[in-house]
Amino acid sequence: MSKLVDARGLACPQPVIQTKKALETDDRVVVIVDNPVALENVSRLAKSLGCELDVENKADGTYITIVSVEKETNKAVGAKNLSCKLGDADTAQKSGPVVVTIQQDRMGRGDDELGYVLIKSFIHTLGEISPAPDIIILFNTGVKLSVRGSDVIEDLKNLQEKGIQILVCGTCLNFFGLTDQLEAGIISNMYDISDTLLSAGKIVTV
Amino acid sequence: MNDSQRYYVVLFGSVSHTLLAEKILKQEGIPHKLIPVPRHISSDCGVCIRFMPGVRDEIEKAIAGRVTFDSICAV
Repeated sequence: MSKLVDARGLACPQPVIQTKKALETDDRVVVIVDNPVALENVSRLAKSLGCELDVENKADGTYITIVSVEKETNKAVGAKNLSCKLGDADTAQKSGPVVVTIQQDRMGRGDDELGYVLIKSFIHTLGEISPAPDIIILFNTGVKLSVRGSDVIEDLKNLQEKGIQILVCGTCLNFFGLTDQLEAGIISNMYDISDTLLSAGKIVTV
Repeated sequence: MNDSQRYYVVLFGSVSHTLLAEKILKQEGIPHKLIPVPRHISSDCGVCIRFMPGVRDEIEKAIAGRVTFDSICAV
């Protein structure tokens, strides 16, 4: 039997929270969402927990069926098993990933024009230095770098092609009304962002 | 030298000169990119404008008489 989570009409991060909660007690959860951000976030949560995933678009919403494969074979461990999985993946990466957080579409405070030149240069340089960071997180006005019309879109795409993960704060995109203009990176939520920051080997804040 | 794989950069005397040139090139619609001055050219924390060899003439024409530049080099 599957547990039903109706996440339609719920604001981020509620769909993720409710899905996570449901997966703690049930092996099979069907989540109904009504927007692409929720779909993306719930799907990513399921994948990060090692669950199987099936998405079906229906007239009244998108149905995400999540099956917790791990739990089927190891029921005794229960909910703990879910959170353990992330930890195991992290320890496999030795000291954890190098994370760059970009908090604004400028580098440094003072002069905006100069700050914009600097952030453009910085992002360009990230593609040339070695070792490159593993993950880049964009939040607050930093998300403006990843949307249509930004001067660094090509650089960000280039970084993605190199395997660098770019997490873009969904709340921030929504706040600026830019959600549908994202061109580089993936929409992320505070769960992913907090997890990433706390499991990082090194955090570089710009 | 295989020109198709190379870029050129225009170097200016100051950041303000570079930004002025960038504005002009944007207005003229000439493809270019503002990048940090490559380390092997200068250790200053400067910026310069990178472009493909094919637009060199266009670029020189666009900024001629409007912004003075130091040099153009292949990178």
